[in-house]
Amino acid sequence: MVLEFKIDLVYHESDISDVPIVCVNGEIDVYTSPKLNDTLNKIINSENKEVVLNLEKVHYIDSTGLGIIAHNADMFTNKGGNFKVVCAQPQLRKIFDVSGLSKKNVKLFEAEAQALAQN
Amino acid sequence: MPTDLTTADRVELSIPCASDYVGVVRLAISGVATRMNFSVEDIEDIKIAVSEACTNAVQYAFDGEEKQSATIKIICNLHADKLEITVKDNGKGFDQAEVDRKKQQKSEGTAAVSEGEIPTLGLGLTFIQSLMDEAEITSVPGKGTSIRMVKHI
Repeated sequence: MVLEFKIDLVYHESDISDVPIVCVNGEIDVYTSPKLNDTLNKIINSENKEVVLNLEKVHYIDSTGLGIIAHNADMFTNKGGNFKVVCAQPQLRKIFDVSGLSKKNVKLFEAEAQALAQN
Repeated sequence: MPTDLTTADRVELSIPCASDYVGVVRLAISGVATRMNFSVEDIEDIKIAVSEACTNAVQYAFDGEEKQSATIKIICNLHADKLEITVKDNGKGFDQAEVDRKKQQKSEGTAAVSEGEIPTLGLGLTFIQSLMDEAEITSVPGKGTSIRMVKHI
């Protein structure tokens, strides 16, 4: 099934600050990943110390998508922030494992609530 | 599908060298792999590997104006016991030793990154080799690149 690529940016209100949540829908590949990069760049350039990238509605991600996630995770971490990814799909988890990204600056969570609850 | 292992059904696809067509290849490859009764996990592995090979060609095989008229060929040979896929371009090719050197620099953090360039992880070929049962990359500078991949049923 072909799903249209869409990025929704919402803000979760917390006691400390509003946490941006980037919800992606569709496939992240060489064609769509620049749009994701643009969204993450805007957040990095703001005052936010934390971002949650929700991939629950993503059914495909390739190395260009992972590269953008890794690059932005580094940028965020270098600013003293947290880069969290929500991803429960076994196939996507496998891609993160094969790439080694799950052992780097990217924190993986199975649900959005978990990601928001952890500091 | 033929039971004779020396012959195979052949499915060919040719796409423009443009990123918006890589998704089309994934759909076609899904169809081929589904027809061969691969498992869901194997179909996903095959889709990723072929998509990565096409992405490599889109990103690196051609420059400038040459890219606008260039094509990438995807050839599938459907054997009784395996699916063999070759992704070919007649672009500029690459020197394997140079790629290995740059990969080493990336892992050491010493690779130069031009302004505006998004650093890649160099994972495309890693995925192909990890997810497929066989993978063979042949490239000749100035002539093009061919990536042959096999998944056994």
